[in-house]
Amino acid sequence: MNEMELLSELAQGTPLPVPAELDAARARLVAAIAADPAARGVAGEGGVAGAADPAAAEAAVAEAAVAQPYPATGEPGEFALPPAPAPVLTAVKFMHAGAIGTAAGLILLLAFSWDLNLYRLTLLGHRYTTAQLSHLRPLLIALAVAYGLALIALWLWMARATSQGKNWARILSTVLLALANLQLIGNHGVAQVFYAVLTWLTGLPAVWLLWRPASSAFFKSARAPRSRPPSQISGP
Amino acid sequence: MRRRPAADDDAAVIVGSRREPERFAVLFDRHAPHIHRYLARRTGRQVAGDLVAETFLAAFAKRDRYDPGHADARPWLYGIATNLVNQHHRDEARQYRIRQAATAEPEVPGHADRVAADVTAQAMRALLDAALAALAAGDRDVLLLIAWEQLSHQEVSRALDIPVGTVRSRLNRARAKTRQVLAGTDAAETYEELTTNE
Repeated sequence: MNEMELLSELAQGTPLPVPAELDAARARLVAAIAADPAARGVAGEGGVAGAADPAAAEAAVAEAAVAQPYPATGEPGEFALPPAPAPVLTAVKFMHAGAIGTAAGLILLLAFSWDLNLYRLTLLGHRYTTAQLSHLRPLLIALAVAYGLALIALWLWMARATSQGKNWARILSTVLLALANLQLIGNHGVAQVFYAVLTWLTGLPAVWLLWRPASSAFFKSARAPRSRPPSQISGP
Repeated sequence: MRRRPAADDDAAVIVGSRREPERFAVLFDRHAPHIHRYLARRTGRQVAGDLVAETFLAAFAKRDRYDPGHADARPWLYGIATNLVNQHHRDEARQYRIRQAATAEPEVPGHADRVAADVTAQAMRALLDAALAALAAGDRDVLLLIAWEQLSHQEVSRALDIPVGTVRSRLNRARAKTRQVLAGTDAAETYEELTTNE
């Protein structure tokens, strides 16, 4: 008898629960099911005993198996992407948060742009004099807006490509996260620090999630040829 | 190639429950006893009642993310249950030590009589509790899912969201450390006796 058999022997001391031991747990689940919005539409059609109609279940599963979780390209014969795992979905949320944070920062920057001293502090540090800044302000505002919009577009682009299982997106996201440190080179004001901190707070967890094993499996399966197997073309 | 789901497998039930949530109760009736037993083995019967409810509530809330390509939902459920064990019982190792120090304390009514009548089983439990307490949480999860719940390496990989290679390495490490701890205890003679009797 080795340690695995000893463990198995130990486990035999714990029997399966009697039905009454599960009543409370089942009641909690039933309450949650009843509170689910989807349950209200079918209330009274069999209750919550869970008597599934096999034909309907099969149809629902078949539909889910071939459903496009993301916008289809419309190419004939294209098969559905596998459902994105939780780490990828969370990473996409972080990327959306990055876009929202960037937009908020841009709005704040524009809101305070009338104040030259504050603007200089927030955007440029102390590189320019007030006179220089007054002269260059329209150009600097335009550059700041362009930079902010580019960042927002980049966040959204990465989020979309990631959710579609594009492997290059997670590689590019990782590279961009490293490049984000360039924002801190040279003179910098509050705005640069804000964007750098925002990038790290949202980008770092996103990139970390994109390299989790479940995410890797998703990107790998999304890379595989996606012609629909014949067995799934026929049938109900 | 994606699997074509059968009408009555777990995937069918879960996918069907997205539009008709009451179908999820089928999954509970199918797997709750075994999930409860797993949780009872790891945390005791009192806590298991709560955790089995939490497991299925979490599964119900996350049913939209379930991959219909997996017919068997047990690894998914065991993964949720294991996460709950680790979330709510970070001091699991300490509990093993407490149980080890008080092995005569009954877990359920009637258990004391059984334990008193089986000194060998009690000694074995104390030994293994000590060994389990010495393991890292991740190693313990792998070891117990395989030894107690008979999950395959692939199923444990799914349950814990780790590569199969990591499952193997964690299992080897856990087994080696378990052997080491068992051999190093004062009751090593009991272990030797147990391991040589059969």
